[in-house]
Amino acid sequence: MRRLFLGMLYGIGIRSFIKVIVGVKYLNREALKKEKQFIIVSNHNSHIDTLAIMAALPFGQVQHVHPIAAGDYFGSSKFKAGITQLFTNAILIRRSKNTDAPNPIELMSAAITRGESLILFPEGSRGTPGKMQEFKKGIGILLQMHPDISFIPIYMKGMGKVLPKGERLLVPFDTYVHFGNPRKCKATEVETIVKEIEEAILELN
Amino acid sequence: MNIFTSKIYLDNIEVIAIIGIIIGVLVFASTLFYVWGLLKPTADLKELKTRTNSWWAMAALIILTSLVHPALSFIAFGLLSFVALRELASISKNVRDEDRRVIIWCYLAIPIQYFIAYKGWFNIFVIFIPVFMFVWIPFMLVIRGATTEIGRSMSVLPTQLMLTVFSLSHLAYLLSLPNLEGFHAGGRGLLLFVVFLTEINDVFQFIWGKIFGKHKILPKISPNKTWEGFIGGILSTTILGYFLRFLTPFTGMEALIISFCIANAGFVGDIIISAVKRDIGIKDTGLLIPGHGGILDRIDSLSLSAPTFFYIVYNLYYAV
Repeated sequence: MRRLFLGMLYGIGIRSFIKVIVGVKYLNREALKKEKQFIIVSNHNSHIDTLAIMAALPFGQVQHVHPIAAGDYFGSSKFKAGITQLFTNAILIRRSKNTDAPNPIELMSAAITRGESLILFPEGSRGTPGKMQEFKKGIGILLQMHPDISFIPIYMKGMGKVLPKGERLLVPFDTYVHFGNPRKCKATEVETIVKEIEEAILELN
Repeated sequence: MNIFTSKIYLDNIEVIAIIGIIIGVLVFASTLFYVWGLLKPTADLKELKTRTNSWWAMAALIILTSLVHPALSFIAFGLLSFVALRELASISKNVRDEDRRVIIWCYLAIPIQYFIAYKGWFNIFVIFIPVFMFVWIPFMLVIRGATTEIGRSMSVLPTQLMLTVFSLSHLAYLLSLPNLEGFHAGGRGLLLFVVFLTEINDVFQFIWGKIFGKHKILPKISPNKTWEGFIGGILSTTILGYFLRFLTPFTGMEALIISFCIANAGFVGDIIISAVKRDIGIKDTGLLIPGHGGILDRIDSLSLSAPTFFYIVYNLYYAV
């Protein structure tokens, strides 16, 4: 039921909206079909980012892919958290250590052990359009723990113009989502893994 | 047969004839380039192939939408304007970040303009964008308050509306023209006439240029365009227009002159978009994706030939 709901929502509804109205073009979308389980890592400029990636997923995959979202933002109220989880399958994590929420790395790692896939924005927040911020270490730790999982780098361009941080009005502009082919990390140290991912994303620019 | 508006086509032998011709030409062109590519794999046929493919899409748009319901043609043309405007707004470097919200007004003008065209309100149709939007957009820019370089945005945004929305909406308006006594093909015939001639004019110019091209016509803007291609294309189009006049109410002389105007306007539209591209520093307007030509490259000549044709026909035959 959930599979059908999410598949229809993203595969038909949101995909047509994203492509026809917003003007998102997908490049090398086949990359998503090459692996069953993966961690998608992407630059982040807009709320549209998550929708654009989810709408690109193959029909049956959607329910197994979980965007990692900021608990303090999307889970600020029970209602907001419920809506976010119902419509996006998101895993909400804490961004500061001062709360008693579970450790983000453990949450993500558990999901991967269950065979699920993740969407991660290692920049941590949306930032200024067109500029990539320094990556957080979480993705490095995660891939160090699961070296057999492939990651799919994505570079998105123009999303910050469509719906920038702090704006509510969506303005259509041509944008693109460039998928890289899935690959396994060669590096083994946390810092070098993060660096490798960052380079893989920038390569798609 | 009830689900089709069969009346439009079955009663209209002229339109059926031109649809047959168009599909014939397209099948011929596609086959030719396919076989050519097989025989000579080194030949660079990309431009020719994309032109043919976009022509297929354009033909399908005009023929299929009206088969289901005439109003769908207006929605389809509106969508075409929308995609073209979005592309132009996305590549334009002349617009400031503060103008983001004002661009929404440009998009909103599209459904309004096409609704007016659908209703056939001619007097509003001709002033809505060139007069009303040319005041409304600067007004919206002013109330947002940022004045640095506001003059540039004031001229760029309405001009983008002219190039992509006002111009193309004339194609749709052709379908709203009243019936003339003794002229069966109607607006649909006129529409096919101008679209077919404009597109084939591009092809003629390309072919003449390829075979005889020596003297560059505007090397700084379009290095591939030559005098030979320009003149050869215009002559071929003018002659072809004479034989296609069964789609129109024109006399032979009128058909020659009007086809000549369409060919010239198509050329001018083409080089205007080329110049805009030069300014931005890109080759294809679909710059976001390297190697994929944008929709602007496909409608550049139509954006000028459509209004040119429309006003000639309107003033010759429909103005009271």
